[in-house]
Amino acid sequence: MKKLLSLVLAIALVAGMSTCAMADAVTLKLWGAQEDQALLGELVEAFKAENADVEWDISLGVVGEPDAKTRYLEDPAAAADVFAFANDQLMDLVNADALYEVTRNKDAIVAANSAGSIESATLNDTLYGYPMTADNGYFLYYDKSVLTEEDVKTLDGILAKANEAGKKVFMDVSNGWYIASFFMGAGCELGMDENGNQTCDFNNAAGVAAGEAIRAFCADPAFLTGDDSVLQGGMGETICAGVSGTWNADAMMDKLGDNYAACKLPTFTCAGEQVQMGSFIGTKVVGVNTQTEFPVEAMMLAEYITNEAAQVKRFEQRAMGPSNVNAAASEAVQENLALAALAAQSAHGTSQKLVLGTYWTPAEAFGLEMENKSTADMQTLLDSMVAQITAK
Amino acid sequence: MTQSKAKKRTPAVFGWFSSLAEVFREGDMWTRLSALIMGLGQLKRGQVIKGLLLMAFEALFIWFQTGFGWQYLKDFGTLGTNAQARVWDEAAQIFRRVPGDNSMLILLFSVLTLATFIPFIAIWVINMKSALYVQKQAEKGVKPNSFVEDVKTFLDERFHITLLTLPMLTLVLFTVLPIVFMILIAFTNFDKNHQPPGSLFTWVGMTNVTDVFWGDQLKSQTFFGILGWTLVWAVFATFTNYIFGMILAMMINKKGIRFKKMWRTIFVVTIAVPQFVSLLLVSKMFTDTGVVNVLLQQWGLMSGPIPFLTDPTLARILVIVVNLWVGIPYTMLMTTGILMNIPADLYESAAIDGAGPVRQFISITLPYMIFVTAPQMITTFVGNINNFNVIYLLTTGGPLTLDYYQAGKTDLLVTWLYKLTVNEQNYSLASTIGIFIFLIVGSISLVVYNMTGSVKKEDQFQ
Repeated sequence: MKKLLSLVLAIALVAGMSTCAMADAVTLKLWGAQEDQALLGELVEAFKAENADVEWDISLGVVGEPDAKTRYLEDPAAAADVFAFANDQLMDLVNADALYEVTRNKDAIVAANSAGSIESATLNDTLYGYPMTADNGYFLYYDKSVLTEEDVKTLDGILAKANEAGKKVFMDVSNGWYIASFFMGAGCELGMDENGNQTCDFNNAAGVAAGEAIRAFCADPAFLTGDDSVLQGGMGETICAGVSGTWNADAMMDKLGDNYAACKLPTFTCAGEQVQMGSFIGTKVVGVNTQTEFPVEAMMLAEYITNEAAQVKRFEQRAMGPSNVNAAASEAVQENLALAALAAQSAHGTSQKLVLGTYWTPAEAFGLEMENKSTADMQTLLDSMVAQITAK
Repeated sequence: MTQSKAKKRTPAVFGWFSSLAEVFREGDMWTRLSALIMGLGQLKRGQVIKGLLLMAFEALFIWFQTGFGWQYLKDFGTLGTNAQARVWDEAAQIFRRVPGDNSMLILLFSVLTLATFIPFIAIWVINMKSALYVQKQAEKGVKPNSFVEDVKTFLDERFHITLLTLPMLTLVLFTVLPIVFMILIAFTNFDKNHQPPGSLFTWVGMTNVTDVFWGDQLKSQTFFGILGWTLVWAVFATFTNYIFGMILAMMINKKGIRFKKMWRTIFVVTIAVPQFVSLLLVSKMFTDTGVVNVLLQQWGLMSGPIPFLTDPTLARILVIVVNLWVGIPYTMLMTTGILMNIPADLYESAAIDGAGPVRQFISITLPYMIFVTAPQMITTFVGNINNFNVIYLLTTGGPLTLDYYQAGKTDLLVTWLYKLTVNEQNYSLASTIGIFIFLIVGSISLVVYNMTGSVKKEDQFQ
């Protein structure tokens, strides 16, 4: 019944659009996160002012980047003309033919943004979106009064110091996003086969060694898990180090004050050797809906809200790391500890775009097993996780 | 009662067809031609408005089918073959999209179009019969009803039709058709790899059904595992609430208990807080770093956190217990009313005969309660099978497990279905599960309801 209703609404919307088109106004809808609404409003006004020759009717909708794909697929025709999404949704969106290829002004866009961010929005050599931020990753926050720069180089060093001080080390292991850092550090890979199904080799020998390392980490008395609120509440008090991303930077600064520090993830002991933890790096990308009435104008808008000036504004107002090369090179960005740590970590990062929706739930289930101090055979656990991840 | 109805109905259906055959046997040329051109017979016998209306209806139907219905119906067998295509637009420097087929729209409008055949056939049959009727009237030399007279019957002997048309139409349009649409999705491969307009979905027959039962080991393991827990949960959630609510009500109702109203109010206060708020709060309280675990550790009762939400067994016990806390006030309120209704002389005479409190409870209170509340208990049981709120807000179905396909140990079928649609876009599998939920819930309600004393001994209620 909901489908029918949304269909009727969609038809009404299309009808509405065509009437507007007759009135010569360019009607566009833009989706962005709740926290970005003020910023987007400003950018849209500036955009209208710069292109005053056209009559614009641009409306804003609140759909955050993590939900963009789900909301889009509910009803492509009713979705926004321009929307921001996290780049791990790229595959599914391209599969549904949701995104216009970036063909206008492509060379300038490629030149303006970092190679990594362009790569993150590219699939089969086609660029499908305008990179907006390059900060969707994680690294280590720590308390300088407990840990030294030397300690944070290895996970063992951190745990040893934390136990000495009676403090905890935070990492949300029961979350596919974070737990992957062990596997990817050990050299395992997530990929995609030619049919668009997920491939995963977390159950090979290296994966088993990484799994044992996770088991050992979870068994350590200093280990602590939970969601963001646990980290935000305990940092500086009961927690001396935690793995998280830039969205927690302000909270960490508040809690730690002068003891605030951030760096790349440590190395961990994997089959007797020190291995650098990997990480996912995601970007946020602005895409143009293939169902839009005004593709050219929508592309202008998408390009405008991701250009250098817009990214500088986004960094100033929302502290989001720019993907634009010039914006990222600015002094203010360079001085941001969290973004510097992220940049250092991204050398060991893997793009998230080849990770499909099926990955997250089994990975979380495996993480829970570890947190619950499961004593089951690691190979069996990993085999069943991989079987689930690659299920069609 | 239902049986005798069915017996009557069978000849009625036969009669319907045989009277149609009679039209062709006994009708003259005009009446027979009405099968092709509706309203011809009526026109010939002087019912001009009626005849023209029928003709207009047929024309409208044909116009609708050719202008709208056919474009979807022709692809109903394949659900579309051309996905949205791209064409390079040199002037605009973009790949313009050429709209292709959309499987979902094809399916949706095909169902709608097919549904329009039902009223068409019904009116066609009416048309044929009335053509024969007016023919016979004319043969007898009786003047046929004028249009105004025909319309007037809808306010008189056919008034039920006037009253029921609108409700029936809305019911079919907004309930039956969407359900048919959803059921049909279960026989397609509408999942995350087949999302229109980019990639179309098509019919796959019974694959989803067989997958759930035996075809796909992981999915069938998940289905039966979750089904088992769903039933366990529904039984516990229903009966624990019922029993404890009744005990509580009886304790408050007991003679000699003072401040009855105050006790009742205290328990009812939990209803004042919206259920989802208390559930979300409780789920926060029981995390590893939540209030409960922190307090237990501070008091020195536990050395580490108890995994209330991450250990499967504990999590299952937790949801049942929390559900008690949420549900008992309602049962208490309801049973209080019924308990006060039991005639006091029953207890007095039982006491004179020497029955103790236990015997009184078993022989008077319980039978009376079960008699009155059995249908309500079935509703509760069915509601618990689909109790999305308590499970999803408390544990979101977790703890997740590697044994299940995209599900956790406290997931009910309905929360699994939710996850499959919202996180996985696996609409076809979700639709299949939805059908099974309906079959399970429907058959349980029907069978148990007909077995209850309230239905069998309806007339014996004092």
